[in-house]
Amino acid sequence: MKPAKVGAAAVAVVLVAFIAVLVVSDGDTGVGARSPLLGQPAPAIVTTTIDDAPFDLARRKGSWVVFNFFNSTCVPCIAEHSSLVRFVADEAERVDGVEFFTVVNDDADDAVRSFFTANDGKWPKLRDDDGSIAVAFGVAKVPETWIIDPNGFVRLRILGAVVDGVLEEQMAQLRSTQGS
Amino acid sequence: MFARRRIVWTAIIVATIALLVFGSVRDTGPLTQQDRIDTITKRIACPTCDGESVFVSRASAAQAIRAEVARQVGDGARTDDEVVAYIADRFGGAVLLLPRGTGFDALIWVLPVLFTVVLSAALGLAFRRWQRAGTVAAVSTSKVAAPRRSFAIGIVLTVVVGVAGGVLVARQSGQRLPLQTPTGGIEDSTASLLAQARFSGPTDVKTAIELYGRVLELDPDNVEALTYRAWLIMLSARQFDELIRSQAYTSTITALGRAIELDSAYPDAMCFLGIVVYRDGGDAKSAKEFVDRCLERDPPAEVRGLVESLSADLEAELNG
Repeated sequence: MKPAKVGAAAVAVVLVAFIAVLVVSDGDTGVGARSPLLGQPAPAIVTTTIDDAPFDLARRKGSWVVFNFFNSTCVPCIAEHSSLVRFVADEAERVDGVEFFTVVNDDADDAVRSFFTANDGKWPKLRDDDGSIAVAFGVAKVPETWIIDPNGFVRLRILGAVVDGVLEEQMAQLRSTQGS
Repeated sequence: MFARRRIVWTAIIVATIALLVFGSVRDTGPLTQQDRIDTITKRIACPTCDGESVFVSRASAAQAIRAEVARQVGDGARTDDEVVAYIADRFGGAVLLLPRGTGFDALIWVLPVLFTVVLSAALGLAFRRWQRAGTVAAVSTSKVAAPRRSFAIGIVLTVVVGVAGGVLVARQSGQRLPLQTPTGGIEDSTASLLAQARFSGPTDVKTAIELYGRVLELDPDNVEALTYRAWLIMLSARQFDELIRSQAYTSTITALGRAIELDSAYPDAMCFLGIVVYRDGGDAKSAKEFVDRCLERDPPAEVRGLVESLSADLEAELNG
């Protein structure tokens, strides 16, 4: 075979392989974002709330836990807040309702208190003064929402603001797969 | 002339390989903690800014990563590569300023070397042909078959040399992340064992008890493992005879008591103690006390569900 033909055949093989990869690869279509933590034990989190109550994630095993990384000046955080309030109110009526926590990201306690006083939301707000919780979960930008199952495994990561019904739908799916 | 050129090329190749091998195995000596923090943060990209390392960025995400790196360096439990691996595990490979030298990312290192070698070989071949065409004007067509074999061998050799050289460069230059595993690089730690134990608990009690036992070998004062191992042992013992139940009862009470002693704020141990004291020991008064103390400590939903109705039953029994 002539070198020119060999070269053309090689280029054709590479092109076909490239197109095949594009065809068979599945794009991100769901609300869940990728993370190496999905399906893994959640990182150990020990901190305090902005009201100085102790918090240890290991002690919450047996409950579904939702972490919402938040900053009071972040526009998407403000936009999703009413959806979160509705979600938490609905969950409070369930026997196996989630335990919902705000993780304060690069914000002052007083600013967070003012926000929640003005906008409702009586769940605990966790301090993350040195950003170690954000780093442990790989959170670079807020808002982000994470769901941890009663066995302590990370089950879902949602990037950006959630809209009405998304968390309810995701929890229903997770509960059906968990069998609770 | 030809022999001399061959010696020069051989010397260049040997020197290159020697330098690569030296670079990959050399010991750079001890660094101060601050040196280590700087070195590590220069290898990590700020996840919220374009083209800046964590070392130079003042973004809050970069500051949080820098604080985490400082904490891990201060703990002294992880090597530089392991700290970088931890961060890359959390934020993804995109935060590595130097791509990895393994897996799919290694193609970044391998392909340029491969292309260089292949193109050099192709150019060499072309020059040789032109030289031959210029010097030997008339060549018999019967001699065309012979170069075909050497051409095929040349292609194979070129690709092999290109890939091998690329892999060598990748191993030398790419970031190697020792903690990474196909499942995401979580270590087989007590946290992982505890999570596995909880996952096994409802369906495979024997495995769960073994896993909690392994946690206690690593950390004898682990409150969760003490509590849940004792609880599962008691549940399992209920199907056996009186003697085994009695032994299990004694060991369960001891283990739960130890868990409460270690962490009096842990509600699960208090709840299980209440259940066991009542169901297996018949002591409603003590059970009510333990259950009420558990409920005061805000147990998780799963445990609360076990004791809420029991609390009402105990109340009724004690009052009736």
